[in-house]
Amino acid sequence: MELTREDLERLYDLLLLTRTLDDRLRRLFRQGRFEGTYFSAIGQEATTVVPTYLLKKDDFIGPAHREIGAMITRGVPIREVVCQVYARKESPDGGKMHPCTFGHPRYHILVPATLMAMQIPVAVGVALGYRNHRRDNLAVTFFGEGATCKGDFHEALNFAGVHKLPVVFICQNNFYAESVPLRLQTAAEDISVRAVAYGFPGVSVDGNDVLKVYEACREAFQRARSGGGPTLIECTTYRWYGHSDIDLAPYRPQEEVEAWKKKDPIPRFKRYLFEEGILTEEKEAEIIRRIAAEIDEAIDYAENSPRPDPEDVLKDVYATAL
Amino acid sequence: MKEVTYIQAINDALHEEMERDPSVIILGEDVGIYGGVFKATYGLLEKFGEERVIDTPIAESMIIGVSVGAALSGLRPVAEIQFADFISPAFDQLVQQAAKLHWRNNGALNVPMTVRCPYGGGVGGGVYHSQSVEAWFQIPGLIVVSPSTPYDAKGLLKAAIRCEDPVLYFEHKKLYRSIKEEVPEEEYIVPIRKARIARKGKDVTLISFGLMLYRSLEAALKLAEEGIEAEVIDLRTLYPMDKETIFDSVGRTRRAVVIHEAPKMGGIGGEIAAMLAEELFWKLDAPVKRIAGLDTPFPFAPTMENYYLPSTEKIVQGVRETCEA
Repeated sequence: MELTREDLERLYDLLLLTRTLDDRLRRLFRQGRFEGTYFSAIGQEATTVVPTYLLKKDDFIGPAHREIGAMITRGVPIREVVCQVYARKESPDGGKMHPCTFGHPRYHILVPATLMAMQIPVAVGVALGYRNHRRDNLAVTFFGEGATCKGDFHEALNFAGVHKLPVVFICQNNFYAESVPLRLQTAAEDISVRAVAYGFPGVSVDGNDVLKVYEACREAFQRARSGGGPTLIECTTYRWYGHSDIDLAPYRPQEEVEAWKKKDPIPRFKRYLFEEGILTEEKEAEIIRRIAAEIDEAIDYAENSPRPDPEDVLKDVYATAL
Repeated sequence: MKEVTYIQAINDALHEEMERDPSVIILGEDVGIYGGVFKATYGLLEKFGEERVIDTPIAESMIIGVSVGAALSGLRPVAEIQFADFISPAFDQLVQQAAKLHWRNNGALNVPMTVRCPYGGGVGGGVYHSQSVEAWFQIPGLIVVSPSTPYDAKGLLKAAIRCEDPVLYFEHKKLYRSIKEEVPEEEYIVPIRKARIARKGKDVTLISFGLMLYRSLEAALKLAEEGIEAEVIDLRTLYPMDKETIFDSVGRTRRAVVIHEAPKMGGIGGEIAAMLAEELFWKLDAPVKRIAGLDTPFPFAPTMENYYLPSTEKIVQGVRETCEA
């Protein structure tokens, strides 16, 4: 799809909403307002929001554990996103899963097993179903560079290549697998080079550049939809905070963090929109006001919504009455 | 009626289910061009084509992970893990992914998939082609079945394929061509979680499945000569178990012996013994006995293999002890 001026404005809106909500939830965790931990995606928003925006509403998404942007962009009500983090009864997973296990079956986003790389073969299987049913759909899966070191990544991409399945693999290379730097994860120059071994294209893009992510996704999605098979897209990006909110990320030099903050995808995109006259100060102020009100309402809703009943754990272990 | 071997019953079930339901697909190593190393999938590729019968690379985790995804997008995959021993790389996708997916998604998604696993000893297969690994999968969200007869092989496989949950289907390699029986030509299903009384008796209950079921039945014949009438239960579903049939039988005979090939420690016999001790203790006249594989890896040399597996003689001896207690 070609992006119209409205699309570009909408993308900015979604990026800002994702960022603002993420930051609020992160702070709420620190205030002890919900249990578990929190996995912030701040800094990486463009890598999920943009691909999700380009997908059809019923295309499958196999997320990892930092895909708040996919939820927002798909149109999952913010209330339900906050209920997930708060483990409320109205969470898409019914409160069964820990914070940031973002998914929503009704919106074709799988509630993931958050063990690294496990969603990748599943997305390939969904694509196999699309092929067999001649459905004009596409499966997309997100994962970090850490997951590309696991066997499931290799096995799944290899099989997807053999059958030229309609699946696109989006790697968010944020240079750290929790604390382990890229240089201790792989001797390869980059992640996208791995695609060569599977017989389909791999590309590396600046994942903090909305328009670059858009171009890479547009090409890959078109190819996959027209029977041309998979693509591995490596988006280089950076998470501003630790792996989870109990990780203060002492393993990263402060200068590195600051340098990446200067490459923040949102102000970069904003500058472009201002230059193009798509966004104005007034419009932005209005977006910010609306987002703040929406988030306040959603948090208030979630905080006052019921917790799961203890016996809910017993539900849905099996689909069959045994 | 038609007389079929155990493997023919499996092949027939696959043919019939694929004809009945176009969403059923087959995937695994050597299942297509070669028709499976045991010929369980013989003739399927020719009849149903390569979109529905998929020869995969050697990648068990992918086979299961892709099956999960395929099940999510409207297919009913029947995956083959060539030997049950090869299933360990797929443990994550089975136990963490498939087993918990329906629950994780709050009941909104189902994973209707079957994983066929040729298992068991007595075939001279050595450590990596002989193991019984059913006890690894006593996991909420998974169903584990294991047929002992051609009739059940067909009926349970059909039940597994039509089930909305992930089902592990353990088929015994030694029984493939050694057991024949007449099965109805018309359609039938063997329900999941329903054990079968393979022999009626009043003095002791032998609980088993697979090759060990036949050794238990042989033992029962010998014990009958000594005046011990053993009831023999064929479990058919190993997890979650048909507690009712077991409790009903042991409640009457007041004595129980569990026989399986897997190592005794951590085997399903321990769960049966624990359930009986916990809930039926005051009706028991003797401790529950387990006659099982040794707590060692599975050996190759026939002398060791015969020593490792429960023999008819070992079962007879064990039952005698239980009845004398």
